[in-house]
This record gives sequence, C-alpha cells and structure tokens, in this order.
Amino acid sequence: QLGLQDATSPIMEELLHFHDHTLMIVFLISSLVLYIISLMLTTKLTHTSTMDAQEVETVWTILPAIILILIALPSLRILYMMDEINNPSLTVKTMGHQWYWSYEYTDYEDLNFDSYMIPTQELKPGELRLLEVDNRVILPMEMTVRMLISSEDVLHSWAVPSLGLKTDAIPGRLNQTTLMAMRPGLYYGQCSEICGSNHSF
Amino acid sequence: MAATPEPGEPTKGKPFKLLGILDVENIPCARDSVLYGSLGSVVAGLGHFLLTSRIRRSCDVGVGGFILVTLGCWFHCRYNYAKLRIQERIARDGIKNKILYESTHLDPERKPTTDKNSS
Repeated sequence: QLGLQDATSPIMEELLHFHDHTLMIVFLISSLVLYIISLMLTTKLTHTSTMDAQEVETVWTILPAIILILIALPSLRILYMMDEINNPSLTVKTMGHQWYWSYEYTDYEDLNFDSYMIPTQELKPGELRLLEVDNRVILPMEMTVRMLISSEDVLHSWAVPSLGLKTDAIPGRLNQTTLMAMRPGLYYGQCSEICGSNHSF
Repeated sequence: MAATPEPGEPTKGKPFKLLGILDVENIPCARDSVLYGSLGSVVAGLGHFLLTSRIRRSCDVGVGGFILVTLGCWFHCRYNYAKLRIQERIARDGIKNKILYESTHLDPERKPTTDKNSS
C-alpha cells in the first residue's frame, strides 16, 4: 500500500483532508516550476543589462507568503483540535520495553499483559509479517480512551497510523494521548523510535 | 493496514498519480479540479493567442490560468465536500440516536401523554 491508511478516528480524517489539500498545493507549485524549467531550457533571450526587477521580486515574495498561510491555517486548526479536552472514559497505560510493549488496564480491575511481536517463522498463513502480536490491545469503539505512554528503558514510540497516533515513550516521562475509534476493526502499528537491534522486529 | 473492504463496498481505484504525487483517482475533487484547470488553461491560452498572436506570453497565460482555475475549483469543491461530510455525520448520528432512544423518555419524537387518572 502506498500513501496514508484509511482513517479510523476523526483526527485522522482531518489529517487525510489536510494532506490532500497540501498535496494539491505542492502539485501546482511543481507544475509551475516544471514549466519555468522548460522555459529556461528553450529561451534564447539573454539580458546582459538587467538592473532591477521590482515586480517579479514583489510577486515571488508575496506569493510564497500567501501559500504558507494557506497551508498553516488548516494545520494549526488540526493541531489545536488534537489538544481538545474530551473527558476520556477509559485509561490504558502502556510501557515500552526492549522489545515489547506492556499494557495495564487499571480502571476497574488490575489487568496487565505483555505484547510481543510474533516472529516471522511462527506466523500462520494470512498473518502480517512484523505486525502481528501475541496479545492484542482491545479497546472500546466510539469512546474516548486515554493512553498514558512511557518507557522502562530507552526511547520508544507508540504509533497507530490508522488512528493518526504517534507518541514518544520516554523513560522518566509520562506522555498522554487520547484516541477514539469510530469503527470496529484490527489496526496495526509499529514502534516508531529506534530502540536497539530489534526495533520494529 | 486499511480494513479489507466487505463485499458490496466500493473499493479504492487503482491510483493514477499526476507528476507521481497527486492521486487523482482516490482524492475527492482532485480529478474534477485538474480537468477544469486544463480546460481553463486551454481557453485562456488560446484566447490570449487569438487576441495578441504572442506565443510565449500565451503559454504563460495558459499556465497561470491552469493554476488559478485548478485552485478555484479545488477550494469550491472541497468546501462543498466538507459541508456534505458534516451533514452525513449529523444524519448518521441522528439515525443512531433515533434507534437508540426510540420509545424512551429521551425520544424527541415522543408525544407527551396526559395523565387522565390524576384529578
């Protein structure tokens, strides 16, 4: 698969749309640059006495500023949307280790388990290489869930692309992220911070 | 990974990427914007050439027209698409709440019944 995964959370939907918006702007700028390059290659005109070019300098100062504003405004909107207070119903703690994740559900009962990646040799037919684990994290859908993420040893990063999540697991620090899955399904993620020889393996 | 589409669900088309970056098949509004932009570019460039007979300047006008028309169509289409998504979300939540709250005291369509026994 190329490109971003299908969105499962509202934030990821917004990110997908922002990505489309920015890609269109990039496409238009690339077309313009390609056209200008083709002009440079085909022109025979030479200006040996160009003294100033006030108009074009004004244009190529103001136009990029406008383009940056067009990109920045939706970007900031999503950034602040990610930080909204949304009263999570469930809290799950996850600790990064070399090289597995451990999860704790302590809201109602004490439930702890480790989640190891299934080695390639032990995969069953149809299972995805480097993605399947022995114990999956089960979360309710259409409910806001708080994830508290930290690490026991080195830097890790807890990432689920379909939910638009990537949060660093830093030893000695507790990072928080909230998620809401809008549809049932199985969503994969891999550690996204290099953490040793078996990082993402 | 993306969820496997159920039978009967629309699947993603094979990606066709302009300049290797813009997937016009799967990005909403991209195909229409680029097509209208191309049409606008041809009209602007050809019109300028017919009026002035200047080839190079007409090409510049054509490229400028492409960029402006594509951008205009893109923003217009995306704005309408965003409104449609909001309406779909409201309708979806409304259907879900109707099913959930039907015949309960939270049902907004429930008519208040008068208590005839109290005097």
